[in-house]
Amino acid sequence: MDIFLQQLINGLTIGSLYALVALGYTMVYGVMKLINFAHGDLVAFSAYVGLTIFSQLFGSSASSFVNVIIIFVLTSIIVAFVGVLLERLAYRPLRTAPRLSAVVSALGASLVIQNGIMLIWGPNMQIFPADLLPNTTWNFGGVIITFTQLCILILSAVLMAALFIFINKTKMGTAIRATAIDQDAAKLMGINVNKVITLIFIIGSMLGAIGGLFIGLYYRALTFDMGWLYGLNAFIAAIIGGIGSIPGAMIGGLLLGLFNALIAGYISTEWAETFTFILLIIILIVRPTGILGEKTAEKV
Amino acid sequence: MNKTTILATIFIVVMAVFPFLVDSTWLTIGITFLVFATVAFSQDIILGRAGVFNMGHAIFFGIGAYTTAILNVHFGFEIIETIPFAIIFPIIIAILLAGPIIHLRGDYLLVATIGFNIIFEQVLKNDVFGLTGGPNGIFGIDVVRIFGYELFSDTAIYYMAFILMILTLIIIRNLDNSRYGRALYYINKDEIAAKSMGINIPYYKLFAFALGAAIAGAAGSIFAVQYSAVSPESFNFMQSVMFFAIVLVGGSASLPGVIIGTFVMFVLPELFTEFKESRYLIFGAAMVLTMVLRPNGVWPATFGNIPKFLRPNKGAK
Repeated sequence: MDIFLQQLINGLTIGSLYALVALGYTMVYGVMKLINFAHGDLVAFSAYVGLTIFSQLFGSSASSFVNVIIIFVLTSIIVAFVGVLLERLAYRPLRTAPRLSAVVSALGASLVIQNGIMLIWGPNMQIFPADLLPNTTWNFGGVIITFTQLCILILSAVLMAALFIFINKTKMGTAIRATAIDQDAAKLMGINVNKVITLIFIIGSMLGAIGGLFIGLYYRALTFDMGWLYGLNAFIAAIIGGIGSIPGAMIGGLLLGLFNALIAGYISTEWAETFTFILLIIILIVRPTGILGEKTAEKV
Repeated sequence: MNKTTILATIFIVVMAVFPFLVDSTWLTIGITFLVFATVAFSQDIILGRAGVFNMGHAIFFGIGAYTTAILNVHFGFEIIETIPFAIIFPIIIAILLAGPIIHLRGDYLLVATIGFNIIFEQVLKNDVFGLTGGPNGIFGIDVVRIFGYELFSDTAIYYMAFILMILTLIIIRNLDNSRYGRALYYINKDEIAAKSMGINIPYYKLFAFALGAAIAGAAGSIFAVQYSAVSPESFNFMQSVMFFAIVLVGGSASLPGVIIGTFVMFVLPELFTEFKESRYLIFGAAMVLTMVLRPNGVWPATFGNIPKFLRPNKGAK
């Protein structure tokens, strides 16, 4: 039972990370019907940026909450800027082009970011400092929760709640939802679609940046090609929840995190990825629109 | 003779005499080019002609290579005897894998095939049934023997790859002129219209998958012989992305496009080893740039489009 509870906590932590990243995929897919393959690499990029900001600004000085918050804010801004740039350069010119052209452009952008990371920071593994956040742990009858885990769980819950309210209660949120349903109709209603898409890339990149920093804080080891791993997992989370649906991404992320943790805890770590993809394929066969996705008439 | 035919003839003649013109380094590059071009052609049948978003094509290439390697090293088959298996196994796997998911909408299919490719890589790396040799792969694949003659020279392997590529081109040419090719073309252009014309869409899509897999498997067999070894990295998901990109950057359903794509992706890196580090960065940027400038690829196909003189004149209204 202890193992189960421990894996539950671990699973929820990983799941929150997946959910944060998955939101970036699902929002872009919802509005542009495009798998933003570069999103995972943006997440990896943010972890590296965070690490560099830490070593440049604070060097050897003891870390504090203020420092961590500065890192989070600066990284989010930088990554959001890169995200917007990505959209301008790689996706905007292709809005009216065949679907596959945009997919190839996304793959190309992913390669650029991934190998850009490799050229800037080198191909070797980078290690996040261990004392960035306090090393406090709590022990609840054998089940251990670390301070980092608690931060991840709380902050991602807060962020997702904030996003949910933003999308559902504000004017900009309504514009985003309208654009997701029908771009042309939204345009006719006076919505600036370009602005909406830029906003989506800003929000998605910022959430991805926070996810990337948490990945750095939680796993501590960074590799330049890790973006694909987290990106694909997050994308699977988005599909499980129903791609295009924001609460779906959150639920999908948590479910996939739990699933991964339980597989790793009870069956095997070597085959963990295989089980993830088998789950994906079963879901695609049984219910391709995911848990919260709507059953719509398929056009192509 | 139109321009394409002339170009194709020149290309084939140059490729046929290529081994007599160059040294051994270039010959190796030539083999690489032929093998990967063949795989890219087979991907073009699935992606370019049938319009099926397949991003797991390295699976079939890999199954072909591993079939040859396993049957030869573990079971003592002659290479020439393994080739039929290296063609049939990918077909079976293609139908088994694609069958349940072939009805999925494009993007979902794309992700599912990525999933299959990653599962395939894990299967190879985890040394299933002790056959695949784990992360190191399988070494010591035999040379090809026909009627007692050992075909071990690079020139011999080059001509095997050349013959396979010519066969592939003949198959594609026949496909384009057949009922199957037209069905695939209509499915690609407008699936709903094709369906309402009574075209059995899953059947034709699976047919394209099986044909593409068979050719990729045969190419895999030659790949295994060329290096006398196979390892999982050659068939990972990144390779599939490359094949996917070759077809679309070159121009889907366009043979010159596929050749240009293969040249850029697989031959240039062999020529300029000094840019190996930044190679993928440049490719990535080139992929984005090509798509932005020419969304239909560098050399788009014109097959089956409405001839110019029949098109409505946009200027005069």
